Amino acid sequence: MGHIVLQHVTRRFDNGHEALSDVSVGFEEGSMTFLTGHSGAGKSTFLKLLLRADVPTRGKVLVNDVDIARLAEKRLPRYRQHLGVVFQDHHLLTQRTVFENVALPLRVGGMREREIGRRVRASLGQVDLLGKEGLFPRHLSTGEQQRVGIARAVVTRPKILLADEPTGNLDPQLSAHIMDLFARFNQVGTTVIIASHDIQLIEAMGFRMLQLEHGRVVGDHAATRSTAEWVGETEAPATADLGGQE
Amino acid sequence: MGGESFHFVSARLGTSFLVWLVVGIALALPAGLWILQVNMNEMSAGWEGRPGLSVYFELQASTEDIEVAAQQLRKHEQVESVSVTSADQALDEFKTYSGLGDALTLLAENPLPASLTARFAQNIDTDVVDRLIAAVQDLPGVAEVVVEKTWLERLNDLSTAVSRLGVVLAVLFGIGAVLVTASSVRLAIESRLDELRVLKMVGATQGQVRRPFLYFGAIYGFGGGVIAAMLIAVTLVVIEPPLQSLLGSYQQELDLAGFNLGFLAFLLVLASLLGVAGALIAVRQRLNNLELF
Repeated sequence: MGHIVLQHVTRRFDNGHEALSDVSVGFEEGSMTFLTGHSGAGKSTFLKLLLRADVPTRGKVLVNDVDIARLAEKRLPRYRQHLGVVFQDHHLLTQRTVFENVALPLRVGGMREREIGRRVRASLGQVDLLGKEGLFPRHLSTGEQQRVGIARAVVTRPKILLADEPTGNLDPQLSAHIMDLFARFNQVGTTVIIASHDIQLIEAMGFRMLQLEHGRVVGDHAATRSTAEWVGETEAPATADLGGQE
Repeated sequence: MGGESFHFVSARLGTSFLVWLVVGIALALPAGLWILQVNMNEMSAGWEGRPGLSVYFELQASTEDIEVAAQQLRKHEQVESVSVTSADQALDEFKTYSGLGDALTLLAENPLPASLTARFAQNIDTDVVDRLIAAVQDLPGVAEVVVEKTWLERLNDLSTAVSRLGVVLAVLFGIGAVLVTASSVRLAIESRLDELRVLKMVGATQGQVRRPFLYFGAIYGFGGGVIAAMLIAVTLVVIEPPLQSLLGSYQQELDLAGFNLGFLAFLLVLASLLGVAGALIAVRQRLNNLELF
């Protein structure tokens, strides 16, 4: 799972507004792609269709040749368990600790507690948050909260990772670190699709970029380098410098 | 998940107690009426009285007239006993119980008629009673036939009315308990919508999302059942002394039935099920079409 194709996808709302208009585009398994465009360009709707939080008015959203718009309700949980989702505002559960937040998808999947502990710590290690398992989200900085959200998204080792403006509230240095994390996840074969309007950062990274405007794809810029090259060129920033943004 | 639900309820103990109280009051009335009806049935089963009729003879009725009437009644299989009270016996009893013994000796002749009393089988049909009356009232010497609508029959009628009222109230208040629970669970759902969206986003099944709220419903229902049982127990304690006094005047012992472990178990299970039913309504209304972010 990880090969995605949108065929002539249109999403029109009841008020007549078309968030997406006849979009046809494909994503290779294990690819990393940025969706860019101004607010209202259709980026979030695009991701919602992939999450099956919404269905197209017309067209097909194929994931490994299965039209997910036609998935029965009872098969949706299984499909979503193969996705990782990161939002700009994290959507962390404030009454639960960092550990419990990250463990949530694994508990939902019915994993044993012992294995959950191992996977959660591994995931928190990937985002440099080991040692903060017992804290509540309110005790963390914005950057740390975002990294908890990422840890939760990747803890199940998803085939597809979707991110909606994951660096929207972060400073450039922290944004670069978060993008670096996504590139590293992509390196292990995860298909990554990130909606972002941070053109400067996206262009600097040189990955594939789909440009949306008024619900249409107006540009499809091929990658100028692979994530392996990117990861090789960059060093992991010192996390002590990254977690302090409030 | 169950522990989580219990924690949620206990963290809002004030609100939860109000829900328990409302559900408890809603259940206490029909359950109390059921207890009342059971006790009325018990009382009527142990009651010594029987439905029957009394035949009053004319003053000049002969012994043969009385015996014919008595025989007429005795030959029917649903007449269990016939006792004859002669005019002299009636006067003696009157002297004894009225305290007017001396005054009655001044009377020139006995003013009281002879009479007989027939006691019927418990399950006698009214048609049979009507036929017996017809057979007796035209016999020579018979002045009047009085059918006794006994205390027992009245009690049976009352018991039937209470039973039917109990069923109606059980349905109405049961619906009330379900709706109260549904609205409380709905509030619990609203307070956790963000969490539920996250759960659905990470792939939780409908069952996983619903389950904690079904537990809420069960806890609310169970708590309501406990309150209902307490209300009934308190009511029984309060009404026992005057009831004991009332029954004592009829030479009856008060032995309250129905409020036992079986009743309590049934009440608590029923209350829990009603709570779950309310929770199901709430989750179907709110969670089936819950949109993600």
